[in-house]
Amino acid sequence: MNDTGSLMTGGRVLAAYLGDMRLELTKMARTPAFAVPTILFPALFYLLFGIVMGGGRGDGPFAVQALARWSMFGTMAPGLFGFGVSLAFERENGQMILRQALPMPAGSYLIARMINAMVFVAISTLLMLALAMFVGHVPMSAGQVLRLLLVNVTGVLPFCAIGLFMGSMISGQAAPAIINIIYLPMAFLSGVLFPIPNKFLQQIQPVWPSYHLGQLTLGAVGGTWAGELSHHVAALVGVTVLFFVLAMRKLGNRGISLLGRPRAPGAASPLRRAVNLVVLATAIGLLLLGVMGGTASHSAANVAATSKGESVDGSAAPPVADSSTSPLGVAAPESPVIAEFDDGSTRAAYGIGFTATDDKSRGGNSTVSQRLVEGGADHTRAALEVSGDVGTAIQYPFVGTSFLPNGQPQVDFLKQGFMDYSTRHTLRFRARGDGKNYLVVIMGPQVDAIPGMYGFVAGPEWQEVRVPLHDLGGVDLQRVKAISIGSMTPGEFRFQIDGVRIE
Amino acid sequence: MSQSPLARLNDAHKRYGPVTALDGLDLQVNRGEMLALLGPNGAGKSTAISLLLGLQTPDRGSAELFGDAPQSLDARRRMGVMMQEVNLSPVLHPREMVAQVASYYPTPYRAGEVIERLSLEKIADRPYGKLSGGQKRQVQFGMAIAGRPELLFLDEPTVGLDVNAREALWQVLRDLIHEGVSIVLTTHYLEEAEALADRVAVVTHGKLVAGGSVDEIRAYVTRKNILCRTALAREQIAAWPEVQELREDSGVKHITTRDAEAVLRRLLAADAQVRDIEVKRAGLAEAFAEITSANPAAGNGAGNSR
Repeated sequence: MNDTGSLMTGGRVLAAYLGDMRLELTKMARTPAFAVPTILFPALFYLLFGIVMGGGRGDGPFAVQALARWSMFGTMAPGLFGFGVSLAFERENGQMILRQALPMPAGSYLIARMINAMVFVAISTLLMLALAMFVGHVPMSAGQVLRLLLVNVTGVLPFCAIGLFMGSMISGQAAPAIINIIYLPMAFLSGVLFPIPNKFLQQIQPVWPSYHLGQLTLGAVGGTWAGELSHHVAALVGVTVLFFVLAMRKLGNRGISLLGRPRAPGAASPLRRAVNLVVLATAIGLLLLGVMGGTASHSAANVAATSKGESVDGSAAPPVADSSTSPLGVAAPESPVIAEFDDGSTRAAYGIGFTATDDKSRGGNSTVSQRLVEGGADHTRAALEVSGDVGTAIQYPFVGTSFLPNGQPQVDFLKQGFMDYSTRHTLRFRARGDGKNYLVVIMGPQVDAIPGMYGFVAGPEWQEVRVPLHDLGGVDLQRVKAISIGSMTPGEFRFQIDGVRIE
Repeated sequence: MSQSPLARLNDAHKRYGPVTALDGLDLQVNRGEMLALLGPNGAGKSTAISLLLGLQTPDRGSAELFGDAPQSLDARRRMGVMMQEVNLSPVLHPREMVAQVASYYPTPYRAGEVIERLSLEKIADRPYGKLSGGQKRQVQFGMAIAGRPELLFLDEPTVGLDVNAREALWQVLRDLIHEGVSIVLTTHYLEEAEALADRVAVVTHGKLVAGGSVDEIRAYVTRKNILCRTALAREQIAAWPEVQELREDSGVKHITTRDAEAVLRRLLAADAQVRDIEVKRAGLAEAFAEITSANPAAGNGAGNSR
């Protein structure tokens, strides 16, 4: 009678694992209070902010990237809530203790929960894909669909680990609220869903795992993304291991082991401690590598500049558009002068511009026009006046006037060259206007990430605007493609600029 | 077959911060017996069970299950457990829950067999959350026996059951014993221990203070309650040397005594009109009071101090 263990065949153990998975899925499927918010809410957000209000429709790169961005949002929830809230409740109501006493195969609960989160993510991503294809009429290749699913289904793991950690700490009653307090800021501060208008918050975007997953989902659909693949993967693996180890420790202190045998308190061998330490150190190292690397290469790119004609054939390998692979910009001319507008034209001293630019190519309905006006700043002859109306048809409207320092005529915007301004410190110009807020936008090689931005107010009197180039978060000054001055604020606007210099 | 006990605590100590939960408890469960573990709240019963289930480890002393560490998966595959304070998933159905627990064991019963044995057919496919408290306990009991265990731990199995359900569960327990299953039972009902247990262990202050057959334990409880309606004054009764306690409740006097016969003789002699006389053996609470107050901190084994 002592060898009952041998009667527990591999087949029976496998059946136990599969049974636990099925039961966890059954539980979730029968709990609409969990299933509805975790799957439907992100999809509704995508429908509302991505497709309807954001203009993420049709075959432009913007549309498919909106899908990629919001699918990241949908991936976070099953991990955070599926692990966090459920674990907190089951820990409190004694279920975890009963599981410890039962001869459940090692790690079965964890695996079941993980598969469960992955299935939910797959459903969430597929639902958004369906919305994209049938509501947004966004054409998707099989490759794009498969890569997006793969990235999201594996990308839920860091959020599972965070959820597990939360679930090991907090009470079941408090869990939904506390996890929402983490979920929503982490999603929105990543800058993946909406651009962040705050320089500091922009700079710390790589701190959030959602930022790294967002870059990977963008890459999965062939969109442009920031940073390096290895940094994003390192950060996500680091987060997963770190929070997993912390959660196991916390649960262990509560007498719960999800991996198998309950740990005897105080009985950890020196070897085991050493292994734990090494694992923790490695996780923190990976995390730091990802976050620091991400911060370094988290350079500007431009949401506003994708042209509708860009090819986003998902069957091609994702274009790795990070800074290091783009050619360096040509050296800037010696003279700091960009444009004085005193020679009777809107032309700059070099490059292309200044040219009025609207957002029609991205589906926007903003209008803009520019002209020279008599009486520039400092009693010069003339200044450039830009006026128009910022529309609300798309998520990120932007109109203004643009200067491409290394621009060539008759060349697609995406193929325009760069200029190396890394030795310059300040972009200066005079501005006056209707008292509204305006933005200086500096675009680098990445056309779909968030560009470097600097806000200013154009008042009735001429005032100097000084843009500290090296303090703008993530602007790659070696590769400046375009400098635009304009408005994102819906409504009519009018401003004048003069004496544009970079020095 | 081996004579070694199926489960054993040997001089087990366990502290939670300043609180001593177990203070050198010795306990063993033999094959084919039902051991009832009795004791007031906080006596250490739950801790003892936790150690035997491998949920915790003793600070000092040892805990064994089938001669192995209780954490061992092989050992746990030979026992079933029903806990007291567990809320299971409200959306799963009893049949699914029993089947899943069964899948962890090498030679379990089929879920249908368990459902049938416990007469749970009517509720087997309804959400667990919609069941009554008693029905939930029956489902948990079903989960405990689903793996065809050799040893069953049952923590207050009949709390919340109505009389019929309790009788039915007792019958199942008797059948299981008859089939050779060993059972460790904690209960508040002396009646339950009397009806089922071969052996009783009384635990207080983390120690075994009394152990033995049900009759041996019952012998500790010599106090009886006499209920009656009498015109005699309270002071007069209270003055009799055999009377330990006296209280009055809506005209009925409750007299607690160790010598019921002597008190009855005095009562009948003093008041020819005395009516509604009832003599009751003390309840479990009084038994505990008696055993534990007689054993404030010392002793194990039977009756070495009173």
